[in-house]
Amino acid sequence: MRLGPRPGERIDRSDEVTFTFRGKPVKAFGGDTIGSALFASGQRIFSRSFKYHRPRGLLCCSGHCPNCMMTVDGEPNVRVCVEPVREGARVKPQNVRWWLNWDLMAVTDKIGGPFTPVGFYYRTMIRPRRAWPLFERFLRSAAGLGRVDKHAGRKRRFDTENRHVDVLVIGGGRSGVEAARQAQIRGEDVVLVDEGPEPVERLGFPVLWPARAIGIYEGNLVPVEAGSTLVRFRAKHIVVATGALEQPLLFPGNDLVGVMLPGGARRMIELWSLRPGRRAVVLAGDDRALALAGELEAAGTEVVRVVDLRREQLREIEAWGRYGRLESVSLDGETIACDLLLASGARQPAYSLLAQAGARVEYDAKRGIFVPADLPDGIEAVGAVTGRVGRVAVTPATFNGASRTDKCFACICEDVTDKDMKRAIAEGFDSLELAKRYTTVTMGPCQGKLCHLPSIRLYARETETDEATIGTTTARPPWAPVSLGLLAGRPHEPAKRTSMHDRHKDLGARMMWTGAWRRPHSYGDPEAEAKVVHDSLGLIDVSTLGKLLVRGPDAAAFLERLYPNRFADLKVDRIRYGVLGTDGGRVMDDGTIARLDEELFYVTTTSTGANTVIEWFDWWNAVWGFGVETTNVTGALAAVNLAGPNSRELLGRLTDLDVSNEALKYLDAKRAQVAGVPCLVLRIGFVGELGYELHFPSPHAEYLWDTLLGEGADLGIRPFGLEAQRILRLEKQHILVGQDTDSESNPLEAGMPWLVKWEKDDFVGKWALEHVRERGPREQLVGFELAEGLGSVPAEGGQIVVDGKPGGRVTSARWSPQLGRPIGLAWVPSRLAHEGAEITIKMNGGFEQGRVRLKPFFDPDGGQLRS
Amino acid sequence: MKDVFRVQRMWRPRAKLRRRYDVVIVGGGAHGLATAYYLAKTHGITDVAVLEKSYIGSGAAGRNTTIIRANYRTPQGAEFYKESLRLYEGLSVELDFNLLFSQQGHLTLAHSDRGLITATERAEVNQLLGIDSRLVYPDEIAGLCPEINLSQDATWPIVGALYHPPGGIIRHDAVVWGYARGADRGGVEIHPYTEVTGIERSNGRVTGVRTNRGEVEADVVISCTAGWSTLVCDLAGVPLPITTHILQAFVTEPIKPFLDVIIVSSQMHVYISQTDRGEILIGAEIEPYTTYKGQSTFPFVEYSARHTLELFPQLEPVKVLRQWTGLCDLSPDYSPILGETEVENFHVSAGWGTYGFKAAPIVGTTLAELVATGRTPKLIAPFALERFYTDTLVSELAAAAVSH
Ligand SMILES: Cc1cc2nc3c(=O)[nH]c(=O)nc-3n(C[C@H](O)[C@H](O)[C@H](O)COP(=O)(O)OP(=O)(O)OC[C@H]3O[C@@H](n4cnc5c(N)ncnc54)[C@H](O)[C@@H]3O)c2cc1C
Ligand code: FES
Repeated sequence: MRLGPRPGERIDRSDEVTFTFRGKPVKAFGGDTIGSALFASGQRIFSRSFKYHRPRGLLCCSGHCPNCMMTVDGEPNVRVCVEPVREGARVKPQNVRWWLNWDLMAVTDKIGGPFTPVGFYYRTMIRPRRAWPLFERFLRSAAGLGRVDKHAGRKRRFDTENRHVDVLVIGGGRSGVEAARQAQIRGEDVVLVDEGPEPVERLGFPVLWPARAIGIYEGNLVPVEAGSTLVRFRAKHIVVATGALEQPLLFPGNDLVGVMLPGGARRMIELWSLRPGRRAVVLAGDDRALALAGELEAAGTEVVRVVDLRREQLREIEAWGRYGRLESVSLDGETIACDLLLASGARQPAYSLLAQAGARVEYDAKRGIFVPADLPDGIEAVGAVTGRVGRVAVTPATFNGASRTDKCFACICEDVTDKDMKRAIAEGFDSLELAKRYTTVTMGPCQGKLCHLPSIRLYARETETDEATIGTTTARPPWAPVSLGLLAGRPHEPAKRTSMHDRHKDLGARMMWTGAWRRPHSYGDPEAEAKVVHDSLGLIDVSTLGKLLVRGPDAAAFLERLYPNRFADLKVDRIRYGVLGTDGGRVMDDGTIARLDEELFYVTTTSTGANTVIEWFDWWNAVWGFGVETTNVTGALAAVNLAGPNSRELLGRLTDLDVSNEALKYLDAKRAQVAGVPCLVLRIGFVGELGYELHFPSPHAEYLWDTLLGEGADLGIRPFGLEAQRILRLEKQHILVGQDTDSESNPLEAGMPWLVKWEKDDFVGKWALEHVRERGPREQLVGFELAEGLGSVPAEGGQIVVDGKPGGRVTSARWSPQLGRPIGLAWVPSRLAHEGAEITIKMNGGFEQGRVRLKPFFDPDGGQLRS
Repeated sequence: MKDVFRVQRMWRPRAKLRRRYDVVIVGGGAHGLATAYYLAKTHGITDVAVLEKSYIGSGAAGRNTTIIRANYRTPQGAEFYKESLRLYEGLSVELDFNLLFSQQGHLTLAHSDRGLITATERAEVNQLLGIDSRLVYPDEIAGLCPEINLSQDATWPIVGALYHPPGGIIRHDAVVWGYARGADRGGVEIHPYTEVTGIERSNGRVTGVRTNRGEVEADVVISCTAGWSTLVCDLAGVPLPITTHILQAFVTEPIKPFLDVIIVSSQMHVYISQTDRGEILIGAEIEPYTTYKGQSTFPFVEYSARHTLELFPQLEPVKVLRQWTGLCDLSPDYSPILGETEVENFHVSAGWGTYGFKAAPIVGTTLAELVATGRTPKLIAPFALERFYTDTLVSELAAAAVSH
């Protein structure tokens, strides 16, 4: 029922907007919310309740209750009373079978049956056990409110913004505005945020409206939902001015459509010029509610009775209705016909944000409310949230009469009645937290805003204690439900590409995912690629390796103490392999370390390990107080590995560096121009053939890649991918940390005892490794091969079976074209870790025999590498 | 049916704390109450007190995300959890209390080759031990969870998964209450709001505890204090190799059935399920820093939301209702520490990290057996505290960290 134009109304009558409700067009004005427009169009039932499917109507008109949740444009659980109208929006009711005014599921309210008492599901459907899944399906389909469109993708764009301010004021009522004004006068950088729906008075300082503070987190972080933008505020000082929330009264029929909180009716009149009802009864707990009577009259509502609960002690209230809509109320036996009952007790300070931030909450018996106390530093509270709510009625826990016929709800979100609460207490759930969990009161969408105080009061009465003894439950963020989309921000998860990525694609590489990196799996035929490396020349992009510079006068001593092997004696321009261990002696990462000069080392890590290694280095650097600087150059440098018998020939063509075996020995590191690009040339050989790793600034990557392929064409060069590399390294029995080792592997058992230099004074994990040495190996990482004729390869992760039980595991396995048989690495019990031992592998749905091979399959003595 | 309407007390009203019990259990979470229950029920040991510093289930038991599964990586772990799962399957009937055990099935996603290897290893170990667990590939995943984003164009495309059909979620409070009721009916005394502040020993043997309600003598003391384990065991002079961290979780507003299988992605540090109440329940991995401060953080909800939407973009409009934290007692090898300690008759259940809820029945059974017989049951022998001295760790990192 729309009133004539009123001063101060928020609607713009010249701006007509149309949306659809259940497919039918509804006319609205700009400034309307979907809820106000629906009400204006005559809609009174807005939702069906969670458990009993009782009709529910507008209650608070401030977005704080569950009563007006609908699905808008596929978004479930939208509080339509505060959702601005949008042209063409599609609005649908939810949680109803059939239609809001006629919901099949409402039988649960009428007939009761086993699905009524609190906690019924704990006591029923236990036997027969087999039937439970069926019961469960029914339960699941009955639960839940809105429905999400299973096939939708991400639709909206959300953004994130960070803002630093001196003062953030949360809440735009009178005291909030005053606090912001004062801050502005003091010359501080202040922002005020307010969630609405009432507009905020603008006095020159920046205001975000409607914008809702989600919580107050550590370090005065206040995320604010401002439309589609999440603003993360960091404020030196936070002023909480969130006001107080009207609390419903508990009486039979207190959820009927037409029973409202006074503030809800006031907003209807003031913001949207709606007449909230024809005949009203007002049960006022404070002056504000009392003053509403006049406003109602002015809006054409006949006010038939006003009770000031501070003066007049009512004992019994009962609301009656038909089809869920209020028709009359009886006050201490006197029945009054009405279609609007405005009832509220206390105004409870909205202290949640303060409590989240660490404030204590205590009971103020005089006013019958909980108030915040002991505010943390940097946080201030002003206005009603501090407990300054004027003179309010301290109402009894319930107004139930003996002759009651309808349910009396303590919690409308979860449909918990006063009887449910009593029953829970009688069953032994005799502390507030237990009762909350059992009845689920306060756990619904209103987050306790409308049920916390009433349920505590009820609880106090039933257990014959008082509210102060019972206390409150923990306040948990967020302050009001907030969408995953807003929290997630833009739908992006950065993936990493090397600077040669497009070249790989051009060459038709099949890409694969290794951690966040995209890498070429192969360029078509991995086995052929592996063969080319053995026969002539291969090129692989290894830019994903972690690359760190470790610099400083203590750099050598630092690495010496971190790694189990020696680095202090590493000569300039030489390279050594290193395995990084945890303090428990476990393998953490591996890579090569080149000494570039006395005080500068170049450390490579596994592709996934760079960040962990940097953290590890920084940690120990701080602990030991070494003057070492670490720089992560992983992204700045690209790298390729040139491998195969022809690699020296090609490198020689492109550089002035003497690349002879004498001048550039195995494990030498040299700086040189290659094809005009400044490179660090590392002579190492992960894949077992003569090879050089070139590390160079990534902007040159495509150029160098092209040049190498072009200049090497006559030498038979071919790019190879990760798959070929895996075959090749396996033939060489080179391990992959993280694949061949796990979080408990140590270098002694992982086949690298030669790495551990016991004579060193100390290194990270030494003590632990000494223990391992003492107890002797239990399981070991070994190479294995299968019979030649076997076509299939065991699964990586497959089991070595000993006496029918899992006894070890295959960590890597491939078919080796070079050897013409499956080979791999596996952890086996130590007694099987000798050359030629027979192992049983679970594969092909059965078992196969393999043999342990302790030496590399290819170039066992490394002659190839060194020549 | 009549049971439903009759108001029956779950447990006796709080009693006076006596001065002596045969067995004192510290901690009224799932493990403490389960141990008390099996002591009384299986072994007739009823002179037992459970001392809980707050209300029962106030710790991790009432905060966890309730994933129950057996598809662990090590044979020791898998066998142990398999038995626990079996007990859970019969627990509603045994306790005559519907624990709402929802065996929806459990998918651990693999987003890379490496992920597939881990999944394979677990499947292989599981199969050898008779646990229903296998590898599935995107086409089958699409059938099990039609809602999930299987696009290969994602940052973390799904390349396969470890599928564990009997895995499920349960109503955590019901487990606590069911065990508490069973223990109470068996004669055990449950004392909420009773904090243990000291543990008495003499000659290397435990003799009793001090509490905020006075001293209590006991022949046997068992610490089932999860996140508080190091503090409580310190009282007995038993150092534990455990660090305490917080783990966070949140739920959304209830929506109609959307997801009928539990989804775990270690790579993306997120796991997602839908409860019988309709809420989407989302968790992550533990916070890397150690703390007892149970304050929720905002970055956690942000990155969990981002990862959730990578997997389920449709959930974009669904709203987060409540976030919370709980303590986790993390051991170096992601396996529990169970049974005897160097102090005679002082036993522990600790090192549960983010995965201990699923173990409650088997912990209760085995600890009760240990007390009754004086012998460590075979199933828990690998998890003895001693393993940190003998270096026989049981590495579950790959199967426990984010998977819970
Ligand atoms: C967010 C989260 C999600 C999790 N998800 C899962 C999951 O999905 N699956 C899974 O299996 N596990 C999960 N866990 C782990 C699991 O919850 C715990 O490992 C398990 O509950 C621990 O056993 P409990 O129930 O006995 O511990 P708790 O419930 O923590 O019990 C310990 C009790 O000891 C009490 N106490 C402490 N000190 C004293 C004292 N001095 N005197 C008296 N009492 C004391 C505490 O108050 C507490 O009630 C999760 C944990 C968290 C925090
Ligand atoms: S009426 Fe819309 S939230 Fe209360």
